[in-house]
Amino acid sequence: MSRRALERAILVAFGVAMVAVPWLVPALLGSFWVSVIAEILIWSLLAASVNLLFGYVGLLSFGQALYFGFGMYGVGIGIAHLGLSFWPAFGLGIVASVAMALVAGIFAVRLTWHYFAIITVVFSLIFYFLFLTIKPVTGGDDGINFTLPPTFRFGQTEIGLADSTFQYFFILFCVAACFWLMHRVIQSPLGKALMAIRDNDVRASLIGLNIYRLRLVAFVMAGFLAGVSGALFAFFGRYSSASYMFYHVSGEAVVWAIVGGTGTLFGPLVGTGIFILVREVVSTQWQHHLLIVGVIAILIVIFAPKGFVGLWRGLMNRVTS
Amino acid sequence: MEILLLLAMNGLVWGLIIALIALGLSIIFGLLDIINIAHGDFFMVGTMVAWATVQMTGNFWLAFLAAPLIGLVLGAIIQRVVIQPIRNAAALSIVATFGLSMILQETARLTFGAVPKRLLPPIEQTIRLFGIDYEVYRLFAAALAIAALAGFFLYLHHTKTGTWMRAVRHDPDTAIAMGIPAERVYVLTFAIGFALAAFGGAVAAPITTVDFRGGVDILPVCFMAVIIGGLGNLPGTAAAAVLLAFMEGIIQSFADPTVARIASLVLMSAVLLVRPQGLFKGFAR
Repeated sequence: MSRRALERAILVAFGVAMVAVPWLVPALLGSFWVSVIAEILIWSLLAASVNLLFGYVGLLSFGQALYFGFGMYGVGIGIAHLGLSFWPAFGLGIVASVAMALVAGIFAVRLTWHYFAIITVVFSLIFYFLFLTIKPVTGGDDGINFTLPPTFRFGQTEIGLADSTFQYFFILFCVAACFWLMHRVIQSPLGKALMAIRDNDVRASLIGLNIYRLRLVAFVMAGFLAGVSGALFAFFGRYSSASYMFYHVSGEAVVWAIVGGTGTLFGPLVGTGIFILVREVVSTQWQHHLLIVGVIAILIVIFAPKGFVGLWRGLMNRVTS
Repeated sequence: MEILLLLAMNGLVWGLIIALIALGLSIIFGLLDIINIAHGDFFMVGTMVAWATVQMTGNFWLAFLAAPLIGLVLGAIIQRVVIQPIRNAAALSIVATFGLSMILQETARLTFGAVPKRLLPPIEQTIRLFGIDYEVYRLFAAALAIAALAGFFLYLHHTKTGTWMRAVRHDPDTAIAMGIPAERVYVLTFAIGFALAAFGGAVAAPITTVDFRGGVDILPVCFMAVIIGGLGNLPGTAAAAVLLAFMEGIIQSFADPTVARIASLVLMSAVLLVRPQGLFKGFAR
């Protein structure tokens, strides 16, 4: 079997498995693990937003939690304070994070490498502290809780995320749509231009690419991914909290993306999956699971700097050649 | 007025301690090109060593010796095991040091527990100063920090290994060609960076709480000092640390501490965007 066919077969099998999760997983492991898988899907979008910037444009953002938080609070404030229904609140979360990414990006993408990493974390810290201070609106560290409005209403019947199978498919659909969008962007001329900037920005500018504008576009798209992730997480947890905007959340997303493999579409999903599974499996037995997370992160960067997907590709090359 | 003076004084003392820690961050950054996310935890290790020293011997003064020594040893080991293998991949260093940060925090929690602890200062008197009763230990802490800063700059400019460090930072290839053992200089630099942070931790332990998450809040402040002072500009870093903490102290006298923190973060963004070489470029080299 050729390598391409094998990878396609694995992808199809993976897709089928993801669709079968609500029936398969409760029978094999218990229904708790369905929500763990849903959580992995949500967080993988945050890691994907890091990956879009670092893996495809060469900008290491250490502040993606800011746009995650804006997505989260767009939904939370929309429902709890403004009384919005489901879809407008979702829209508010995404618009808020994209707008924030645009404003922050206008300043941030003027800088590169170290300075870029630092200014993104600074921006996210400013809003983290701001959201801690405006407690009446944001609830600060405690966050705000809300009850979910129904997603669809057909006459008398209401369908909402309270139905856990529907919730799983809603999350799966949103995440799959985002990954598909990202795939399309990477394959497009825009994606090639971004990769040209990543590989050599001087050359890219010499062939006439507008580096600043392309970086800004990528930054806003990454803000969109993080915003969808945050909005989904707000729906999933029924609450929004400033604590998810701290730099540790951004840092974890960077670790997930790099350990999974940056510059690959599914690397962040793999990285997020591994770390959240380790957390869920180990933390029930031993409360110091972060020790294992730290060790894995260090081992991966030393021995497999291209991440798990890089390891996998190396293996595939050896098998198929 | 008294409150303002007290907070300004506290800010000054705290700034000197931060300067010490930020200096460690700055030399590691300048020489090894590493954004060290674990640096706040190096500080935390210092506070833990101070606490452990007091628990075991009952003598606080030994901590001022134990913390930098343990910092030196741990720093050398970490550089050899974790940092050296990824020397040529700066982006990976963020992930590696983030992992390191998790390991240090969890190890501290595993060994010393999750409950924040308070340490009594070895000097408990207060002194009448400009009309306020001020803790003598804080003045002593400031003096210690100044002494350590001065000691470090003397070391950097008047010893052989200090000169090596400056040479490798300036131009690693030429330095290696001249026979300077750059590998050993990297180990030394990382070890000294850790030791400075750990010493800062021991000095600060009676002023703050001893907590396994103690480094999390310190790290952004140190980065602010390094950026506002100018990356790699060591005197600038020290000056910026004092300036920032002093400013935050004054703002805290009429507003919330988080407002003070936001103000310094905004100042830092402005510096990054307008003067990325730092506020003090041209004043010191």
